[in-house]
Amino acid sequence: MTTTLEAPTVHTRLTDPPPKPRRFRKQLTRAVHASAAVVLFVLLWELVPRFVLDEGTRTFLPPLSEDLQALWDLALDGELADHLLASVGRSAAGFAIAVAVAVPLGLLIGWYRPVARFLQPLLELARNTAALALLPVFTLLLGIGELSKVSLVVYACVWPVLLNTIAGVNTVDPLLVKAARSLGLSSPRLFRKVILPSAVPTVFTGIRMAASYSILVLVAAEMVGAKAGLGYLINTSQVNFQIQQMYAGIIAVSVLGVLVNSGFVVLERRFSTWRPKEKP
Amino acid sequence: MIGIRSVTKTFGALTALDDVSLDIADGTFLSLVGPSGSGKSTLLDLLGGLTTPTSGEILIDGEPVRGPGLDRGVVFQQYALFPWRTARTNVEFGLEGGPLGKRQRAERAREYLALVGLSGFEDRYPHELSGGMKQRVAIARSLAYDPAVLLMDEPFAALDAQTREQLQEELLRIWRRTGKTIVFITHGIDEAVYLGQQVAVLTSRPGRLKAVVDVDLGDRTGDVRSGPEFGRQRHRLWELLHDEVRKAAEHERSAAR
Repeated sequence: MTTTLEAPTVHTRLTDPPPKPRRFRKQLTRAVHASAAVVLFVLLWELVPRFVLDEGTRTFLPPLSEDLQALWDLALDGELADHLLASVGRSAAGFAIAVAVAVPLGLLIGWYRPVARFLQPLLELARNTAALALLPVFTLLLGIGELSKVSLVVYACVWPVLLNTIAGVNTVDPLLVKAARSLGLSSPRLFRKVILPSAVPTVFTGIRMAASYSILVLVAAEMVGAKAGLGYLINTSQVNFQIQQMYAGIIAVSVLGVLVNSGFVVLERRFSTWRPKEKP
Repeated sequence: MIGIRSVTKTFGALTALDDVSLDIADGTFLSLVGPSGSGKSTLLDLLGGLTTPTSGEILIDGEPVRGPGLDRGVVFQQYALFPWRTARTNVEFGLEGGPLGKRQRAERAREYLALVGLSGFEDRYPHELSGGMKQRVAIARSLAYDPAVLLMDEPFAALDAQTREQLQEELLRIWRRTGKTIVFITHGIDEAVYLGQQVAVLTSRPGRLKAVVDVDLGDRTGDVRSGPEFGRQRHRLWELLHDEVRKAAEHERSAAR
């Protein structure tokens, strides 16, 4: 009887890179391709106000370089840092509270299916109620101070985390549960060793979405009754007709949003190394 | 020894298994064949303790089965590996919560991965492994905690023919080396004959035990599949199954109407 084992062949060659120069050129083409739209947008923003728009419109849509100059000035005199800190502080607080509440709650709801079925319609309704639509309610109930702003962020952040956590627990591959049960795992151990790790990537997607929302919602909230913050900066600049400064605030907000999101994307990837890599 | 005593299992109006009795001696390799819907997987779930019989009982060494346990290992067709664990930590899964320390578990896992021919692949994640390699990991995982019985539910059905043949050969080698009792579900007659010392045939729905056939192919060296004895055994089983498969197909047709 022949029982010699042939070493199993690996089908994908993970370690075999294509020849170097070709790879470099490919990466370069990809980089150009990926940034082309943004570069084009930046050019339009700079050139159209300069050469196409009439004087009156240009006042409201100044060339990008002037806005960036305003941003630079704000950064130099420390004003930008103040606003940034105020905003990030509120976002982070609301986001942290939301995650701390929604993850355990979602695990609990997801684990008890009847509870999930019972609550799902209500959760859908709440999630689809735009947080900003509730801003007046929050203001009425909690005043115009920090509490109402942070509460609004909490509200906006809770839903994506909660719903994704529930989905993460509910969509665990039943075969994995069966395999674990066949090993005689008790329910608590099944939860800890199978449900939880299997739900992590889905939960983390919810957390990343929440991080984005925390900034999106906050900026709007800061336009009402705040004394600092990027939303406040944008709003007062507009009221005081400091148009460049207004755009500076907007740019700051969007850069902050992109940074936060990409930071979380990196984290997310770290938490789900076991997932097959998506083809870029 | 496994004793299946007048086991009936119904799901609502559907009778999956009807009064099945079968004894499986220690160390036996038993193939279980039957048309689709004959309750093969149900019988395996019952043996694994994942469900309970509607009537009758299942004894293992005289003790009735009261749920899953580490005295039986189950290998599924779709591997059921935990995708967030590497090959090694997948194999360790059944050892966790047991008496072994962390280092001993890793050692044991390495040992069993070597047994299934996967030395050097310890740190691969399942998505980095081929189907055959995944099933090897799953087999290693079930063997690692040293169950007396290995329950296998069409474990090679999703593999290509060549890989399947290779794994069949290795399974026989592992069986001889470890002396486990193996209950192996398949819908392939060739596979059933090649692997099993005994082949149990179930009827089409409701699943009843139609026959238990002893297969004697010596020590199965070389290309036994093309020998005359293999052909004879194969044909006998084919005749037993043929009617049942036809009945099952008719049943499905009338159900679809």
